[in-house]
Amino acid sequence: MAKPKVATDWMAGCAGCHMSLLDMDERIIQVAELVDIRATPITDLKRADASGVDVGILEGAVNNTANEEQAHWMRDHCKILVAFGDCAVFGGVPAMRNFFTVDETLRRAYIEAPSNDASGMIPSDPELCVQTRVRAIHEVVPVDVFLPGCPPDADAIFYVLVELANGRMPQLKDNNLLHWH
Amino acid sequence: MVHITIDGKEIQVPEGTTVLRAAEQADIHIPTLCDHPALTPFGGCRLCLVDVKGARTLQTSCTLPATDNMVVTTDNERIREARKFVLTLLFSERNHFCPYCQVSGGDCELQNAAYEQDMTHWPLQPNWNKYDLDASHEYFILEQDRCILCRRCVRACGELIGNFTLGVEERGADSSIVADLGVPLGESTCISCGACVQVCPTGALIDKKSAYLGHEVQLDKTESICIGCSLGCGIDIYSRDNRLVRIEGNWDASVNHGVLCKVGRYLPHEAENWDRIYTPMVRKDGKLKAATWEDAINAVADQLKQSSRTAAMASTRLPAESLYLFKQLFGDKLQADTVTSIEEGANTKLAAQLAADLGSPFEGSLSELEKADCVLVLGADLVEDHEVASFFIKRNVPHGTRVISAGCAENAIADIADVVLKPSGDNYDNLIQALSAALADKPVTALAKAAGVDEAAVKEAARILAAANFPAIVYGEALLKNASLNTLKALVELGHLSGAIGEQRNALVSVKGKANSMAAAQYGLEQAMEISDEQAVFIALGDDCPSQKLIKRLENVPFIAVQASYSSQLTAHANVVLPVTDWTEQEGSYLNLDGRLQTAVQPIAAPEGVLTNAAVLEKLAAALGYHLDAAGWKDELLKRVPVAIITE
Repeated sequence: MAKPKVATDWMAGCAGCHMSLLDMDERIIQVAELVDIRATPITDLKRADASGVDVGILEGAVNNTANEEQAHWMRDHCKILVAFGDCAVFGGVPAMRNFFTVDETLRRAYIEAPSNDASGMIPSDPELCVQTRVRAIHEVVPVDVFLPGCPPDADAIFYVLVELANGRMPQLKDNNLLHWH
Repeated sequence: MVHITIDGKEIQVPEGTTVLRAAEQADIHIPTLCDHPALTPFGGCRLCLVDVKGARTLQTSCTLPATDNMVVTTDNERIREARKFVLTLLFSERNHFCPYCQVSGGDCELQNAAYEQDMTHWPLQPNWNKYDLDASHEYFILEQDRCILCRRCVRACGELIGNFTLGVEERGADSSIVADLGVPLGESTCISCGACVQVCPTGALIDKKSAYLGHEVQLDKTESICIGCSLGCGIDIYSRDNRLVRIEGNWDASVNHGVLCKVGRYLPHEAENWDRIYTPMVRKDGKLKAATWEDAINAVADQLKQSSRTAAMASTRLPAESLYLFKQLFGDKLQADTVTSIEEGANTKLAAQLAADLGSPFEGSLSELEKADCVLVLGADLVEDHEVASFFIKRNVPHGTRVISAGCAENAIADIADVVLKPSGDNYDNLIQALSAALADKPVTALAKAAGVDEAAVKEAARILAAANFPAIVYGEALLKNASLNTLKALVELGHLSGAIGEQRNALVSVKGKANSMAAAQYGLEQAMEISDEQAVFIALGDDCPSQKLIKRLENVPFIAVQASYSSQLTAHANVVLPVTDWTEQEGSYLNLDGRLQTAVQPIAAPEGVLTNAAVLEKLAAALGYHLDAAGWKDELLKRVPVAIITE
C-alpha cells in the first residue's frame, strides 16, 4: 500500500501551528516514513497535487475570499480534512476582529494606524481578495478532525498524524492531548 | 433516610439530600458548573443532568432531592449528548478566547468540563456580541465575555457575605452580572472580600494581583490561618518561587468556612510596598548603620544590663511561642519594670480578671454567633476590625436574624440594625443595666436617661432580645474603654437574662484585639505602660505596624531597641533595629478570640540574615547569660483561667 499523501496549508493564522509541527523534533522522520508529505508551506513543494491527497491539513481561520478558495480547494482535494489549531477550529485570535465591521478594520489598518501617513488608503485593486467576517473552517466546509490548541502540542500533532497514517480516525481525549489553549 | 440507586449503587441518604450530593457520597462523579458546596443549589448550568427512571426528561441532579426507590443513571449516550449540547450553548453564548484567558489550561472549570466530554471544538459559533469588561475594582476584574451566568458570585456575595452587591440585570442572552444597580464595581458597595473571585468557575472574575502568575498546579499551597485579626480565619496561601501569589479562604476551616475579608485576602500584598529590613542596625553618631547580628545583640544586651528602668512590649501579632519567650526573658529573667503587649491589656485585661474571679471561662463560641437569630453588638466595630464576624450576622438578616447595635453607630452593622443605641459618653454601664431592667420588666426610665438613650428604643431592643431563641452578644474595644469589672459582670448578667448565656449554649463573645490578643492575656502581658524615666525600651514588633500614639509616647526614651520586619517611624527612631521574619516566614501558634488554638504554617522561606522573632529573643537571652525554655509555652498558656474555653 502506498504511503498516504498529506498536504498542509495556512490561512489566517500566525504559522505557529506549523512551528509546533516542527517542534516534534526527530519524530518528524518517523512521520516522513509513515506518510508522503506533499505541498506544505514548510516543504519545497509549493504546488499542490491536482490529483488530491489523503489528508489535508489547514491552519488558520477563514477571513477573506482567498481563504475561502483555499478551504474549498483543500476540501475538494482531500479525503480527510484536519482543522489545525485554534484559529482553524474556533476562529481564534483573528476572529476578534468580528467585533468590528470589515470596513472599520480596514480603515484602522490602512488609514488610522499611527504608522500610516496622510497618503494611507484602503487597497482596492480588483485582483485582490475581499475581506470577510472571520470564520472557523467548519463554518465554510465540513471538517473531519479537529486538532485544537494555540498552538496544538507537538505530541497531539504527532498522535493525529500517526493515527491517520495508520488508517484510524484520531480520538483526541483528555489524556494530555486535548488542549484548546 | 431514603434509599436511592445511582448507577447501580445502592445508597442511603438523609431526606432532603440532592441526587448530586448522594452521588458524591458514593464517589460517583457528576460534572457540574453552577454548583458549589458552600452555596444553595441553583440549577442554572444544566451540566449535572441525569437520567431518572420514570422521568420523561433529564433532571438536574443538583436541585433534585433524592426520593425513596429512585433509580438514577449518571452516564449514558443521551446524557453525554445533552451535556455536550449544554457546553456548546455555554461556549457560544459569549466570546470565549481560551488561548489568552488567565484560567485556561487547568483552572477553568468550563474548559475542564468540555475536556471531560472529549469536546475538540464547539459546533455553534458565537454571535460576536460585545460585552463589557469592568476593571474599575482595585483587586479584581469582571470580564463578561467569560461569564456563564452560573451566579456563583451572586450567591456568594449574598448568601456567604450578606453584602448583596452583585446581581443580574436583563434577561436571556442579555443577562449580565452587575454591581448594585449597574455601577462600576470600583464604585459599588463591594467590600473587597473577594468571595466572588474565589468561587468563579471561569475567568470572568479574576484577581488582578495573581493573574497570569501561574496555574494552581504550578503554585505551592499552604494551609494556614490569617493573622489579620483575632478571628484566625483558615486560609490557603498560594506561593511560587518563594513569593506570595494569592490567598484564598479555606472551605474546611472551622472559623470562617471559606469566607475572608479584604484584610485577609488582599492586604497581605501591601507588604510588597513596605520597606523591608534585611540587616541589623545600630545607631552610631546619630545615624542607624548596618551592623553584625553580634554587635547589634550586644548593643541591646549592654544597655539592658545597665538600665535602671526598663520596659518591654510585644506585638500581639507574634506567635504564642515568641510571646512566651518574650515574657520569660523580660519578666522572669530580667524582671523589667514593664512587660506587656502592645495592646497593654486594653482588650482582654478586665475579662481575664472576671474569669479569674469566677474561676471559669464566661465567654462562648463564635459558632453561636453564626447560628444566632438576634445579635446585640456592644461597642465593637465588626466592620472595621473583625469583618468576617460581621458576615456571620449580615448573611443571616434575610433569614430573620435581628440586630441591635449599641455604640460604634456608623457602620454596616448599624445600617442593618433593627435598633441603634448610642450611649452618651461611651459609657455602657447604664445601657447594659437598662437593657437588663427592661428584660426583667423593671423600671427603665431612669437608667435609659442616665445612659443617654431613648427609653422606647431600649424597650424595643429588650423585646427583640426576649423574643429571640438564640440571642448572641458581641462586645469589643469601645465598651471596654470606660468599663470596670462591674460592667462585665452586668454584661454577663444581661447574657443570662437574655438567654445568650444558658446551660446549653454560650453566645457571649468579645472580639479582643490582634491575632494573639488572647494568648498575650494568658501570659499576663496586660500591664499598662507608664513611661516615666525609662532608660531602655525593647519592642518586639514583628511585622506589626506601630501606632502613632506609641511612637509619640516613646519620643523621649533614651534607648529603644526594636525587632521588626519593616521600617517605620519607630525603627527610624530606634537605637538598635533587629530584622525579623514576617507572618509568612515563621510558624507559630495563635489563640483566637473564642479560644481556638491554631497553627500558622510557614509558606515562605525567610530572607538571608533575617531571624524569627523567637530566635532573636533567644539570641538576646544568650547574650545576657540566660537560657530560655521554649517548650513550656503551651503549659503556661493553659495555666490561667481563660475567658473562653481553650480548644485545639
